[in-house]
Amino acid sequence: MKLKSVVSMQKVSKRFRKTQALDDVSFEIGPGTVCALLGANGAGKTTAIRTLLGLEQPDAGCCRVLGWDSQKYSREIRARVGYVAEKPALYDWMTIEETGWFAAGFYPPGYQPAFDAYCRQFDLDPTRKISELSKGTRAKVALSLALSHQPELLILDEPTSGLDPLIRREFLQSMVDVAAEGRTVLLCSHQVNEVERVAEQVVILLNGKLICFEKLDELKERTREVILTLPESDAVVPDLPGTVLAQATFGHTRSLMIQDLNETRLPDVTQNGLVLEIRRPNLEEILLGLLRERRQFDNSGREMNGPDRS
Amino acid sequence: MILHIDPSNGIPIYEQIVRQVKFAIANGALQVAEHVPSVRDMARISAVNPNTVVRAYRELQNDGILKSIRGTGLAVTAEAPTLCRRIRLEMIQQRLRSVIEEAAQNQVDWDEIRQLVEREIQHQSERSRESKS
Repeated sequence: MKLKSVVSMQKVSKRFRKTQALDDVSFEIGPGTVCALLGANGAGKTTAIRTLLGLEQPDAGCCRVLGWDSQKYSREIRARVGYVAEKPALYDWMTIEETGWFAAGFYPPGYQPAFDAYCRQFDLDPTRKISELSKGTRAKVALSLALSHQPELLILDEPTSGLDPLIRREFLQSMVDVAAEGRTVLLCSHQVNEVERVAEQVVILLNGKLICFEKLDELKERTREVILTLPESDAVVPDLPGTVLAQATFGHTRSLMIQDLNETRLPDVTQNGLVLEIRRPNLEEILLGLLRERRQFDNSGREMNGPDRS
Repeated sequence: MILHIDPSNGIPIYEQIVRQVKFAIANGALQVAEHVPSVRDMARISAVNPNTVVRAYRELQNDGILKSIRGTGLAVTAEAPTLCRRIRLEMIQQRLRSVIEEAAQNQVDWDEIRQLVEREIQHQSERSRESKS
């Protein structure tokens, strides 16, 4: 059976007391894709992942993973998905070997030899106790555990935060390997430059809302940063041909993040003596622009609504 | 063959791979009939998405720089070195053009640009002479 989407979220909302963790979020990830889930801390990324795995029940909407409804088939999903949590929960008193043996009990035969092979690949000493391991080694154990049943979908929730460059590169390479076999990866990370190397699709969340769901190539291809030098700092910025995503002012210069910029119409704007520079921003700059812009927007919205932030 | 991929320099990653393979052929780092690494190896070594490598290799095949040898992989064609040397020259010309555009935008006049270029050429040729002697 060929699935159309490996991961799908349809109008999912989830609230924890006063916090709207997910607000009407919809996206889909096709098979064999590496998809990055980005957003500021507390944007709802982990909640999205936990909801997909059926570890949280959504207040509204529907999640499906590998064609299974997350609410009803959490066990089936977790048996077929590899998941590396930000803080992997491992039994401190076990050795690496024992951890693999213990986990093998939950999966079909073949798990343990695969786990042993990953341990060799990641240069792990199987006789060491989990409690003695460094953060990076623990992360490698968690990754080995997540990969050993050949999951059709690998979900990584900030797997590389606080790890050294070599281990980060090893993680990246195993992700490439998973993708090369046509399996799907959902990656949540703040290392935007690493994400940029491997991701094909990006999902950006902000305060629980989906603000971007696009192919990375297209997002980068469509977005330009236009830098204007204004004669006076309070001069009016002319209308530019395109959709303004974000803007920032630094004294006399104004930087605008613009989507679908029509460059042929730019000379009309530059006539009145403005100096223009056009750049192709990288993913980090696009992300920063979007996050900053929305934060300003939200703050001003809140101030208008009431004096609760005095 | 080692690639240096910078995902944030504004050039799409597949394009960076294409360029670097072309440059490697132009300066002899990759020889006629030599094989390029498989998609999977290349993806792994340079830590980029395999689909990106597929796209780059497809473009190199379309340009007549690589051809597939049945059962073994992709090899450098006989015409590739000539093609790549020409392409390399074109790319350098483009880089030069964008530098000159930048200078012109910042009101540097033509004579100043010419002097700068002359001075740099002088500087480079002296340096290469020194390193030879």
